[in-house]
Amino acid sequence: MISLQGVTYSYPGTSSPALRDLSLEIPRGQFCAVIGPNGAGKTTLAYILAGFIPHFYHGSLQGEVNVEGKNAATMPQRELLRLVGLILQNPFNQISGTKVTVQDEIAFGLENLGIPREEMVARVAAAMELVGVSELAERSPLGLSGGQMQRVAIASVLVMQPAILVLDEPTSQLDPVGSREVFQAVREMASSGQMTVIMIEHKVEWVAAFADRAIALVDGALLADGEPRHVLAIDTVWRAGVGQTRYTLAARRLQELGKWQDGKRLPVTLDEATLTFKAFQKRR
Amino acid sequence: MAEVFGLYKQRASFIHGLHPLTKLAVSGFFLLAGLSLPGMWSTYLLVIFGLLPLAFLSRLLLELVSRTGRIVLPFMISVFLIQGILWSGGTPLIEVGPISFKQEGVQFAIASSGRILIVVGSFLWFALTTRPDQLMLALAERGLPSSLSYLIVSSIQIVPRFQARANTILDAQRSRGLEIAGSIFQRARAVLPLVAPLILSSLIDVEERALAIEVRGFNYPGPKTSYREIAQAAWEPMLQRFLLLAMAGTLILSIVLRLVS
Ligand SMILES: Nc1ncnc2c1ncn2[C@@H]1O[C@H](COP(=O)(O)OP(=O)(O)O)[C@@H](O)[C@H]1O
Ligand SMILES: [Mg+2]
Repeated sequence: MISLQGVTYSYPGTSSPALRDLSLEIPRGQFCAVIGPNGAGKTTLAYILAGFIPHFYHGSLQGEVNVEGKNAATMPQRELLRLVGLILQNPFNQISGTKVTVQDEIAFGLENLGIPREEMVARVAAAMELVGVSELAERSPLGLSGGQMQRVAIASVLVMQPAILVLDEPTSQLDPVGSREVFQAVREMASSGQMTVIMIEHKVEWVAAFADRAIALVDGALLADGEPRHVLAIDTVWRAGVGQTRYTLAARRLQELGKWQDGKRLPVTLDEATLTFKAFQKRR
Repeated sequence: MAEVFGLYKQRASFIHGLHPLTKLAVSGFFLLAGLSLPGMWSTYLLVIFGLLPLAFLSRLLLELVSRTGRIVLPFMISVFLIQGILWSGGTPLIEVGPISFKQEGVQFAIASSGRILIVVGSFLWFALTTRPDQLMLALAERGLPSSLSYLIVSSIQIVPRFQARANTILDAQRSRGLEIAGSIFQRARAVLPLVAPLILSSLIDVEERALAIEVRGFNYPGPKTSYREIAQAAWEPMLQRFLLLAMAGTLILSIVLRLVS
């Protein structure tokens, strides 16, 4: 369970806030996607959840952030890091830089936590299996492709078994197959009730298919919040520069041509599109 | 792509299986002996009878020779030319018109080339045969703070990345018409626009990296465990101690020799 109450934050030396009066509650086990154009404050939100703001970045933070019932700003970083796992936007920088093989790299976090060796071996193997990098176990983490590196970065945080997993654009380097696999793995973790997932993502088609909820941020403020298929059909969300699924885009094209019934909701997923366009065809 | 991790090259050699501190002691001994022993040829003896056989046993002879050569040769050539020609006074060896090669200059060049050779060679041999993570583990076991060993190990492996990035930026600058070849002055001017983006992008990386290792518990209080065990043959601690003694001995010997002469 995560809760933000009236959170406003400005980075040091900046005057306009990166987040404005943000209030949110994310219940345990939810898969929540965060969407929004570049500069919307998505990464800033992730940093707040991981405690980097205010522990690492100072600046001015107002409002309250609670993680599993405790205030994140006053909770010591060591406690917070057991609760929240963060996968950074750039997988290259997530690699520790001291390990020679992928499996050693994934074990890095567990070594730091002081987990006994036998348990480490089992957990590393399970994490590699989950994100599909078992064949890379003996490869050098620095010699991987962007997509492979991204999976290794995910595994290296997953292996620490945080209660809350925050992923910052984790599929940016992945092809459609790889992206789908990541979404599926994340979906399963959330569904098993073990993990709350907050995933910053541009690939709205997968968001619509897998996430429980979508939060749209624009200019640091909350623009829309709800089921992905509702949020992604909202005009202002689209105008703010958030990507649309191809089904919504097709409907918007019809709208432009004046062939869309006023007030009718735009389809977001394939199922909705099938239904809507069938009805559309009948009417003509 | 630098598929390698830093400089480390995996080979099936018994040298690769040695404890990192054993190899550290060996290359430390070469370094110290090379820098402190007097005489023009002492470093070359160390290279021929010490470093090269070890590189051969590590199955990295060619690798070491070519890597060392690429770094050391340009230096050697310029030192020979500059010291040989510009040595003031001295005994001329060869004379070509107004230019003459001085014996003292050549001797100085031989001695300083040997020093560079042993320093670069023994560092590269160590880096080529030692897994950085094992080095880090070994240092941690000896009580070195983990932040310090992280710094050492990650910078060893970041050097090739720094080089790669410098090359990328250099290529970009060159394609925008910046002249990188040319006189020393031209080159110095070309380096300036290279330095700024290099430092800037590295700083951003450093910040993100710091955050990334933080999330992975790098500063987590309490004892760390290790995923790997490092093996150490029974005789290795003895050899390490012997090498430490040898280093001390060499140091004393070189001081005595210098005082005597
Ligand atoms: N370290 C920083 N210092 C100052 N401003 C920053 C910093 N990081 C991000 N910002 C600013 O905060 C705003 C939100 O950025 P960010 O959270 O990275 O957006 P997003 O992840 O949605 O692209 C942007 O206007 C950005 O320029
Ligand atoms: Mg971002």
